[in-house]
Amino acid sequence: MEKIALPAALPNPLREGLVEERIPEPATMVIFGASGDLARRKLLPALYSLTRDRLLPARFAVLGFGRHAQDDDAFREEMRRGCDEFARRRPVDAALWSAFAKNLFYQQGSYDDPASFQRLKTRLEEIERTLGLPGNRVFYLSTPPSAFAPVIRSLGQAELAPQPAPGKPFARVIIEKPFGVDLETARALNRQVHEILDERQIYRIDHYLGKETVQNLIVFRFANGIFEPLWNNRFVDHVQITGAETVGVEGRGGYFEQAGILRDMVQNHLLQVLSLAAMEPPVAFEADGVRDEKLKVLKALRQIPEGDFERQVVRAQYAAGSIAGRAVPGYRSEHGVNPASTTETFVGLKLFIDSWRWAGVPFYLRSGKRLPKRVTEIAIVFKEAPHLLFGRRGDTIRPNVLSIRIQPDEGIALNFGSKLPGPALEIAPVSMEFRYGTSFGMEPPEAYERLLLDCLLGDSTLFTRGDEVEASWKWVSRIHQRWAAENAAGKTTLPAYAAGSWGPEEADRMLAADGRAWRLP
Amino acid sequence: MSPEAEKARANFERFARGEPIAVDVGEIERELGSLWQQASHDGGTGAVGRAALWNLVIPTRGSALAQTKALVDAIAPAVPVRAIILCLDDAAGGGDLAATIESHVISQPGGGRTVYSEEITLVGPAGAEAHFGAMVRALQVPGVRTATLWLDAGMPSTLLVRELLPVTRRLVVDTGSCTGPLHLQDLERLAARTQPRPVSDLGWLRLGSFRLLFAGLFDPPVGGGPLRGATKLVVRHRAGGDVSALLIVAWLGQLLGWRPLRARETPDGGLRFDLERADGGAVEAQIIPGPGACDASAILAIELHSGRDEYVVTRDAFDEAHVQLPIAPPRGVKLDAYSDADICVAALGPRGRDPLFARCLEYAGRLWSLEPQAAGSRR
Repeated sequence: MEKIALPAALPNPLREGLVEERIPEPATMVIFGASGDLARRKLLPALYSLTRDRLLPARFAVLGFGRHAQDDDAFREEMRRGCDEFARRRPVDAALWSAFAKNLFYQQGSYDDPASFQRLKTRLEEIERTLGLPGNRVFYLSTPPSAFAPVIRSLGQAELAPQPAPGKPFARVIIEKPFGVDLETARALNRQVHEILDERQIYRIDHYLGKETVQNLIVFRFANGIFEPLWNNRFVDHVQITGAETVGVEGRGGYFEQAGILRDMVQNHLLQVLSLAAMEPPVAFEADGVRDEKLKVLKALRQIPEGDFERQVVRAQYAAGSIAGRAVPGYRSEHGVNPASTTETFVGLKLFIDSWRWAGVPFYLRSGKRLPKRVTEIAIVFKEAPHLLFGRRGDTIRPNVLSIRIQPDEGIALNFGSKLPGPALEIAPVSMEFRYGTSFGMEPPEAYERLLLDCLLGDSTLFTRGDEVEASWKWVSRIHQRWAAENAAGKTTLPAYAAGSWGPEEADRMLAADGRAWRLP
Repeated sequence: MSPEAEKARANFERFARGEPIAVDVGEIERELGSLWQQASHDGGTGAVGRAALWNLVIPTRGSALAQTKALVDAIAPAVPVRAIILCLDDAAGGGDLAATIESHVISQPGGGRTVYSEEITLVGPAGAEAHFGAMVRALQVPGVRTATLWLDAGMPSTLLVRELLPVTRRLVVDTGSCTGPLHLQDLERLAARTQPRPVSDLGWLRLGSFRLLFAGLFDPPVGGGPLRGATKLVVRHRAGGDVSALLIVAWLGQLLGWRPLRARETPDGGLRFDLERADGGAVEAQIIPGPGACDASAILAIELHSGRDEYVVTRDAFDEAHVQLPIAPPRGVKLDAYSDADICVAALGPRGRDPLFARCLEYAGRLWSLEPQAAGSRR
């Protein structure tokens, strides 16, 4: 069928005043790996919720692409089940779903087969012509990492992702984590991607950045006058960042054996959170302004000196234990895990940022599987009052702590000491809490909703730039190299911790050596 | 005389003399605090957050009090507020100003947390409005913005202008309840007086989903070209919804730079406006009443003609619309059905400070004041 050539469209003046809605232009989203878990559990439920909230354009289509053979109706059915189970807005509205599902399509193909991508192109053009879509496209790579480069190469060969040009439809590519497995592979992948795409077209997704509290961290720091003056080494004693999970490897033993918690959580999520917590004020709240400042933090991470490695890095592996009243096996007994595995399921780190603001302030990071509760938080622990007027009364006078809860129960709490009512001068720690659910009476949107919408709008502020990825890998890869050397020399130090505990004693000793202790979030 | 009756009489006499009356602000706060403690105690899952994003002042009359309280009940789960309802009710009896308090404890999804917000109702006879301003100032949660829901045109305007506007950060009105375009002009004057504070209109917000749908017709690849060359606009509305229709014409006229020239009534009971485009071309805009299913927005259809092309959004049913444009096949779209509470919640959010509304209100006023062929019978 002949494609109709349309002149470049004039701006739509009726969008004025509707800006608050942040409605993207009509577009098609192509999901590679559409028969996978992420599409069913996260992506389609997020798109449905956006439709429900009227945040997607009236003309919008989704084309799933995968190796699995199925027709449009089967794909729609599977995605409907996913939305029934995982959509934020449930139950799914039957009439709304019916309209939404009409624009869901599926195309079977292979990621490295040029003929598959030609068929994809033909199908895309047909859908766009039928629905009156302008040719704006977002390609979501929800595939195994090994398929990232072949898919992007195939997109280039099929001329599906032309570089941005004024007045032309956009083509953007969202790439899931992990982006590389170390510095070398990340650099190589960046090179391969840049052969086809301009950096402005690339949206490396880290769903932590889509969480409301992570975004609020920027607002909290830079929209309030009272915190930023305290946010430095004059007043902050140390910072703790915790990313704890109760789950084990959940049937992904094979993947986790290759990854480990340092790759799976720290290199991306926790270092991104760290960079937002520690960065300088950006010159403007726009993509490169924010990402430039985050990059400076990542570049300022001090490499752990050879001699301090044991004092600043703890890795461990969970043993059998109990989670939520249920006995759970140790890591080495999990399906797909080598019984002699040296892969870490817990890591505790002490690191420093070599900057004027943070000189001398330790940042303690820990992340682990099979910890007692699922929680991610940043805790800013302030220095004690310079003179303890009331003397030390046991441990009742504690340092002020500002804790920023990223998940669950998103919110912020400030702990301070207060006099207990009564004639005696007793001081008790109290907490002043702000919770999203309480103060705003509504649950925040899912991270994927925000990030998919941002990509459609062309806002990459909450996506990771190529140089950020490389900077974080550069820091993390040194630790991996050290561990590899220890393993090769038969000097692996890998303490066990019971599932359901807060990690190994070695992690506690790391802080105790500095006169500090991990928070119990 | 019983002590209670004696107290009521004394209060009435003090009230009649304009003295402070028998509502103890400190006692209200103490009682609210007790309710909060009780809510925390009853919850059993830890502390209950006491929250207020707004002080929400709602003047009303006795006949509408139950409806107003139901509205507050519906708003509270979505926006924690301290609601202060000011009710004039001659049937309240005793001439006294009476206060009642209620709490709203809302469980969050999962049941683990609860939100607590408050409602204070002050009821007094005609004339009590002179005391409402001071009561509002005393009962506002400090540091929290105050919004006034001015939805009852029958309330004394002095209450709003003298007492409430000085403490109001956002005024919420409802053009949907305008009995005619004349009332629209009153609102326009009120909005002008309220500046620079935002005026949020529930009627305007009700038009939002229709405006959004219609605006979407001119996204790429169509673009704004057909709007620039528009020759005719028809807005069909439910009988009595001419204010909403006028706002739709004003919306397009404002954004597209159409200059109002004349107006006249049409045989079908509608109005026709002759307008001039920025390039000098003529646009004919009609608002036409008619039957059909629609929600409180009162709009049945918007049709824009540009050359030989038509761009149409028609409401098929309460929550469905039909979209027609030249480059794609016609299709049905589901429209959200918003309750009054949903719209009030939106009015308290970012959508409630739409500067375009004030411009469109002013434009609608200009349309209505067109001379000399304007519709005399409607004025």
